[in-house]
Amino acid sequence: MADPEFQRDALQHLNALYNFAMYLTRNPPEAEDLVQETYLRAFRFSHRFQPGTHLRAWLFQILRNTFLTFYRLREREAAVAEDGVPDWDTPMFHDTPLDEGRAMEAHTDLERALRRLPEEFRTVLLLAEVEGMPLEEVARVMACPVGTVKSRIFRAKERLRGLLKDYEK
Amino acid sequence: MTPIPDDEQLGRRLAAELPRYTAPASLRAAIVQAHRPASSHRPAWLSPLLAAAATAMVLALFMLPVLPRLQPSDPVDQLVRAVVSEHSRALMWGSRQSQVYPAALPWLQQQTGIGLTSVFIGDDRLEFVSAEPVYLLRQRGVAMHYRDLDGHLVTYVALPADSLKVPDRNRVQIDRYRPALVKDSGFVTWVWRQRDVACFLVSDMVSVDDLERFKDYFVRVRTSTEPALAY
Repeated sequence: MADPEFQRDALQHLNALYNFAMYLTRNPPEAEDLVQETYLRAFRFSHRFQPGTHLRAWLFQILRNTFLTFYRLREREAAVAEDGVPDWDTPMFHDTPLDEGRAMEAHTDLERALRRLPEEFRTVLLLAEVEGMPLEEVARVMACPVGTVKSRIFRAKERLRGLLKDYEK
Repeated sequence: MTPIPDDEQLGRRLAAELPRYTAPASLRAAIVQAHRPASSHRPAWLSPLLAAAATAMVLALFMLPVLPRLQPSDPVDQLVRAVVSEHSRALMWGSRQSQVYPAALPWLQQQTGIGLTSVFIGDDRLEFVSAEPVYLLRQRGVAMHYRDLDGHLVTYVALPADSLKVPDRNRVQIDRYRPALVKDSGFVTWVWRQRDVACFLVSDMVSVDDLERFKDYFVRVRTSTEPALAY
């Protein structure tokens, strides 16, 4: 069980985590579940957190890993259920089409374009540009080198520009 | 038409134009509630009680093997229990000595005082595994182990009968024989007497179907095996 001080510090990042979860899941109840699960794990494994390191990056890392573990798995299961044929070739990171019936409406072209990016590109942009995280923290969340983060940001922006161009035609 | 932004502008647009979603107040409350220590709701006496109960259970488990056991008063039941123990030992650990018929017969007779003028050495259903001397309830005897096609181990034991009397209860008519069927600890045992030798055939074939086959095994062993006291 996490100590009260750790809980208080962790809960300071609630809004940022929820915002990130919303862009990952595009569904408020799912985002809430994801954030709850993130805090559940963070508090359960708080002893593994090294004080003095970045709590925010640690929490985002847990949230993203949880998302990849559970929500992607469920997406795959749904793909199997719909056509009745196992689709084992479904890539882990792919351009996810909007599920208008279930997902929340996008407000702007920019948001719509962002949603169409693969998760790895969407995440680096959200962390680096929206949350303002230093590249080192983003690298920790993504569990990859800083150089990879830089190249992903570059490629993500390139694709985002392409999508925006399509919308503005 | 909006001009396509460069990298820096795009970054600024993302930070400025993307809507920011705020966590509902209920979410914070749910998280805090979920992580409130459960012990505050638990009565103070519950933890020591559970600990004491767990300790008592562990002690009971340790003491179980040394607790006194009720021994059956009937001599047949006592022998059957000893034979079943021998059978389960062979089942778990195998034979003490791997002696194979017929080379083992003189040695067995010398060791046990029980001679076997003829022996069931297996057939299409039962494979002879081994023969060995045993010492049960202060009596020397012969044990022979067979394995059937389904993997059941069947143990034949011959012991000096002395004044042992096979009880009339549980007698079963099989062909021209009437052995007694005794069940103990999940095993079934045929008990019969051949002159001065008490004979036992034990296996774990307790189900109705298995028991029918076990009757057949009894006939095979009984008709082919002739034990007698050697001295």
